[in-house]
Parts: sequence; C-alpha cells; structure tokens
Amino acid sequence: MASVYKVSYVVAGEEHPGAILNADQPPRVGDQVTLGKRRFVVLEVVDLLPARGDFRFLHATLRPASGN
Amino acid sequence: MDLVPLLQKVELFEGLTPEELQAVAALCAERVFHAGDLITRQGEAGDEMYVICEGWVEVVPSAPPGAASPRAVVNLGRGQLIGEMTLVDYGPRSASVRAISEPTVLQAMHRDRFTKLCEHDFHVGYLVMRNMAADLSFKLRHRNLTGR
Repeated sequence: MASVYKVSYVVAGEEHPGAILNADQPPRVGDQVTLGKRRFVVLEVVDLLPARGDFRFLHATLRPASGN
Repeated sequence: MDLVPLLQKVELFEGLTPEELQAVAALCAERVFHAGDLITRQGEAGDEMYVICEGWVEVVPSAPPGAASPRAVVNLGRGQLIGEMTLVDYGPRSASVRAISEPTVLQAMHRDRFTKLCEHDFHVGYLVMRNMAADLSFKLRHRNLTGR
C-alpha cells in the first residue's frame, strides 16, 4: 500500500482551530490546501512522529491564501 | 462496497491483516450527513464511533464560563475518528461534532460489537487499542501546537 500522510495543520496568526486529515501526498512548502471552505498556503512542514507501517505523521503550518 | 481499501488507510486499523479488516468491515454501517447536521452532542451517551470517509467535521466543546460562544477546537477530515473515546471510557460525548461539508460520509461502528471483536481476537484488540492511543496522542500534540 502507498504511504498515508496523517497531517496536523495549524494556521499561523489567527484563531483557527486547525485540522487533521489523511492525505495521499505530503504537503510541500508553497502548496495551497483547502480546509473546509478556505484556502491556505503551506509555510512549513516537519515530521511530527516516527513513521509506523505505511503511515507518516506530519505537521504543517499554514497562512491564509490571498483572497481568503 | 468493499471497505477494506478504505479501512487500510485509517490509522486505527494499521497492522491488521486483510482478513481482520474484513471482520471490521462487517461491523460498519454508512452514515451520510449534510452540512450543519449534528453528529454527536456533548454530554449525551454515545455507543458508536465513526470514521470519516468523505468531507469535514468540526469538533466543538461547550464554551468555558465567560466565553461568548462555543468555538471549534479542531476540524477533522478523511481518515479521522469521531467518538472513539466512548469505546474506551464509556463516558458521555466530550464535545459536539457537526458536519461542515456537503456531504459528509462516515462509517459507524457500534461500541459493543467492536469491543466483542477485540475481545474475541486479541491481535485485533491489541492493535486497535495501541492505534487508538496513538490517535488520541496525535490529537493532543495537534492541540498543543495550535494557537502558538
């Protein structure tokens, strides 16, 4: 099975609750991601925990995309 | 619908064999919610846990004293669990959970049937409980990183 990326997203600079979801691809700096109805830009991605089986555990920091 | 490929991508079931995943799949029932629907209500008894297959939910505990209104503490998307605490502590729902996407599709598992499977098959039971602890730990880490 291909890797599953469990990602903790937090939004810098605002009181957004952040999000957790499984993704088929890891987020990369500069990517745009949609959480709910809002779009964000990825500022930083770090490994949060060691991998287990096919699962990778990442933490990504976001900022709102322009126009949000 | 073959749920095994879907369940393979859920951390709770990491390490289970295809046969064990089939046994889990046999316990699942699909639930479809619309944006704004309440999935769980804080304080109520709960006997099901859910895996998010499609869409988003927000987790909203009641507002602390003096706060203006309840605020979401996290949004959860594909592959995440809702209501899993009731599987281990049998307590009331710790927060309200609301669907925020159209549609929001979940797979529901009844606590008693799922517990019976874990008690019947110790390999499944050990892995599920280990993975559930890891999932709760991940949520705590996320919470600690939010709002920095």
